[in-house]
Amino acid sequence: MTIILRLLNENDKMYGYEITQKVRELTKGELKITEGALYPALHKLEAEGLLKVEVQKVDNRLRKYYRLTEKGETETVTKLEELQEYIKNMQVLINPNWSLQ
Amino acid sequence: MVVNSKQIDALYEFTRQHFVEHYDLQTELVDHLANDIEQIWQTQPNLSFEEARDKSFKKFGIFGFMDIVEKRRNAMTKRYYKYLKDELVQWFGWPKFFITLFIFFVCLYGFSSNHVQYFFISIYTPLIGWIFYRSYRLNRTYKKRKLESNKKWMLENIIFKQGGAVGAIIVSQFPTYCQLLSHTLYNQYLVLALSTGTTLLILCFYISYYLLPEKADKLLEKTYPEYKSAVL
Repeated sequence: MTIILRLLNENDKMYGYEITQKVRELTKGELKITEGALYPALHKLEAEGLLKVEVQKVDNRLRKYYRLTEKGETETVTKLEELQEYIKNMQVLINPNWSLQ
Repeated sequence: MVVNSKQIDALYEFTRQHFVEHYDLQTELVDHLANDIEQIWQTQPNLSFEEARDKSFKKFGIFGFMDIVEKRRNAMTKRYYKYLKDELVQWFGWPKFFITLFIFFVCLYGFSSNHVQYFFISIYTPLIGWIFYRSYRLNRTYKKRKLESNKKWMLENIIFKQGGAVGAIIVSQFPTYCQLLSHTLYNQYLVLALSTGTTLLILCFYISYYLLPEKADKLLEKTYPEYKSAVL
């Protein structure tokens, strides 16, 4: 969820397939958001009022774009801070700095 | 190579065959499949449309779209309850609050009286009768709407069918209410709880069986940006 929010924070609006490709591109294929996980996550964020949707006709089909709401923007900042804190704590646990004071 | 209009129609049919019956979700999945098919064709241009489509579909796992449909329904149900809550809140503000208070005091008077059983029957019998009548009407309206438009919307389905499920649960709890009634003469807190509960129940039923279905088109437009253009 945090990855999706972060991407939308940086890219204004994105559609589902674009998100999967962007994650793959940024992580050089190391991280893959599966189709089965992406859409439920997007729909949940939309139901929570963090995302809003707009539909555009592209070529011969309709495309659903997701965009952060104001609430979503605030939530992204909070989630990213939580994630950074978590990574920091994990780094401390993995590489403890043993020193005698 | 680009997926053409005929193939887009075939993808809509493909999603229907895989248990995605609502247009809102079909549209999103069709665009996803079409994008992926075009991506596949870039590296394997010799694959036919059907082969590329099946290759793309495999990425959704062994359950295909089923998990997405189920979770979409959960998210949409959550949204429905948000609309219901938004309506309910209005009954605690000016000027509707007076109607809420009136219902509450009628219930309080009735449940405090010596003829509580009669009061209970006179409140709940018409209420349940009205619920059955509304369920029947909503069901007919929903069928008519489906005939007029070949597109189904998940929220529309919830608005016109959800109330029925809530009503069935309430009716199934009837024996419990009857048991509680025998204690009301001795317990003021129970009277207060029953009055509050009945007031909320009446409001929730009115909202879910009448107000929300009446506002269905407005809510669908608010939820689905593509709704207006799709039904015209």
